[in-house]
Amino acid sequence: MNLPDPRRTYAMARKEVRHIVRDPFTLALALGLPLVIVWFFGWVMDLDVRDIPVAVVDRDRTRASRELTEMFSASGYFRLVPPEDGDFLGMLDADRVKGVVVIEPGFGRNANSGRPARVQVLLDGTDNSTAGVLAGYVAGIQLAATARLAGGSSPPPARLVTRFLFNPELNSRWFIVPGLLVVVMGVMTVLLTALTVAREWETGSMELLLSTPVRPSEIILGKLGPYLVLALAAVAFVYVMARGAFGVPFRGSHPLFLLGCLLFLIPSLSLGLLISVVTRSQALAMQISAIAGLLPPMLLSGFIFPNESMPVFFRWFTMLLPPRWFVEISRGIFLRDASLVELARPFLALAVLSAVLVGASVRRFKADLEP
Amino acid sequence: MNPVLRGFLRKEFLQIIREPRVLAMVFVAPVLQLILLGYALSTEMRNIKLAVVAEPGDFVMTRIAERAYSSGWFVRGTADPADPVSSLKSRRAEVVLIAPPGGLTRGLARGNAPGRRSRPSVAPGNAPIQALVDATNAVRARTVEFYLQRILAVVLAELGPPEGSGRSRPSILLDFRMLYNPSLRSAVFMVPAVIVLVLGIDSGLLLVFALAREKEMGTIETLIAAPVKPWEILLGKIIPTLGLMAIAAPIVLGVGVFWFGVPFRGPLWQLVLGSFLYVVSMAAMGTLVSTLVKNQQQAMMGMFMVFLPCIMLSGIFFPVENMPGLVRWVAYLDPIRYFVNILRNIMLKGGATEVVWSNMAALAVLSMATAVVAVRRFRQTLN
Repeated sequence: MNLPDPRRTYAMARKEVRHIVRDPFTLALALGLPLVIVWFFGWVMDLDVRDIPVAVVDRDRTRASRELTEMFSASGYFRLVPPEDGDFLGMLDADRVKGVVVIEPGFGRNANSGRPARVQVLLDGTDNSTAGVLAGYVAGIQLAATARLAGGSSPPPARLVTRFLFNPELNSRWFIVPGLLVVVMGVMTVLLTALTVAREWETGSMELLLSTPVRPSEIILGKLGPYLVLALAAVAFVYVMARGAFGVPFRGSHPLFLLGCLLFLIPSLSLGLLISVVTRSQALAMQISAIAGLLPPMLLSGFIFPNESMPVFFRWFTMLLPPRWFVEISRGIFLRDASLVELARPFLALAVLSAVLVGASVRRFKADLEP
Repeated sequence: MNPVLRGFLRKEFLQIIREPRVLAMVFVAPVLQLILLGYALSTEMRNIKLAVVAEPGDFVMTRIAERAYSSGWFVRGTADPADPVSSLKSRRAEVVLIAPPGGLTRGLARGNAPGRRSRPSVAPGNAPIQALVDATNAVRARTVEFYLQRILAVVLAELGPPEGSGRSRPSILLDFRMLYNPSLRSAVFMVPAVIVLVLGIDSGLLLVFALAREKEMGTIETLIAAPVKPWEILLGKIIPTLGLMAIAAPIVLGVGVFWFGVPFRGPLWQLVLGSFLYVVSMAAMGTLVSTLVKNQQQAMMGMFMVFLPCIMLSGIFFPVENMPGLVRWVAYLDPIRYFVNILRNIMLKGGATEVVWSNMAALAVLSMATAVVAVRRFRQTLN
């Protein structure tokens, strides 16, 4: 097979660039989407758990109980809400507080005399992820309270020294922003390429193009090339925002990161091409690619909902989707300074998926050319 | 009922029944969506890969590891004792527990020797166990630490108080109880939200596509020529939608309760009233979108551009309280948000009067306002 001729490919690419510039919808999508996504997930969304409304019902009214109350408010995680007499369960029902701490009479006496002093803590478990974090904070207060209020008791015989690696300040933006790339690139490549090629089929200009001396491989490369460049520009934009505006560290190697991006873009572009060849109509291509381009990156990639938490079926299923692997690569390189060897699994998976998707789309495209 | 409206309703019902795609969309799609999203959108902290670096004879460490693996939170990971950080980087482990030098079992025994003061760097614990946690996901990392603390406390309690020191247990005990969702299942929190999404999007879509189709096929001109008032046309579209949702909602709710085991603790009639207001407001929003588009393809785009922000601002996935001021104000216009509050409160907490009725009032005002604007816009596009 002959290699594609660069001159003819370039001509195709120039034609495509004109299409993009002239179509306000495509242009708005290509330029506006990365902005909106970065704005929303970078600034608006915030998964940190803080300022949790908590009511402390102090029935003991001793120095010790006041000190314990003080420890809740001074921890920085909780916001104390004045409790209502009697009906503290109602406050939980009405979503006014996430937790109620009940200090029964006798607490101060027990603490001072070294007997176990019990405090009842009722937590709202509806939102399981917040509740988990909440329980952790409460456990931390228990340790601190024991050390301060029951000062006489000996330290526990063994303790856990936790080191939070890669994200020592536990900033949830560091988790979200490197994952953003997958949404930006996923939507741009799958949606835009599916639309552009479907348009050529729908208007019949594809037949026209095929009758010219331009070869099919050159058509594909020329049509997809500009979108590859656009997507890479979006990657650069998110990268600059991540480091400049959000202070996310980039600890790994840049060439490896670029390789990862390309290995994700190639199967995504092929998927767009495949959708357009199969549907051949803009409306249908749009619907399918909106689902295929948005759902896997947003919900099934681990971008927000961890893959490890999914049921077995989904854990296997998501392995067939490029976004899941790219999220792993992106976070690995950004935060963990992972090398190619350490990221061998995701890179290998992306390479295999690229080969499959490129092969499938090229075959379908060629099969469609024969009358 | 006036005869024009009755005739119009008949036409709409026939159109819906004759279109198998619509029926499938109303009855099959919601159930599939609910099952898919109910499972996939899980935030439970499970399958945490834990690796333990300890000497084979260190039986307290082994005990901790066994406890962790049998807790259901952790699964086995592998770590290279010489370079544990590398196994975190390659995700072969998410947490690595490292025994103190000399082993934990011996450390505990040594710590109990009378008269020995612990060094300040490791105080107050005599035997510090190191936990290296991959904190890429901050929320997960915090939960992992909490689980480990709890397991360690249980194992130490089982070993009993060491000889020589009278009281070693923490003498302040915060006993906590998780209300409403004691086993912290993600489905309990997410499934009601997914029900809200499914109902809302489907009722909005029905309206947008019904009107966009009339426009695309030109039948809207016929309707203008006929002696029907604009509000009658809209009512004729909204009533069948309500009817379809009245069938779809119990199905979806049943799947949530019986399949996912989400509790249902509140009064049903409040839920019915809330659903009615919600479906009306989403249908009105669909009508509003349909006045801005010319054909079904644009309708698709329009829905996308209106519903995606609504979902993002609804507080289903991301807490609204943490959003910046201006965005939080915009979120007050989001009907999805109010119905999520209502449904979650009724199902999980038995319906607190204050929450249910304040959200219900907001939803009523919002649906009235949207409906009025929609009818006016619709009338303008007709003339």
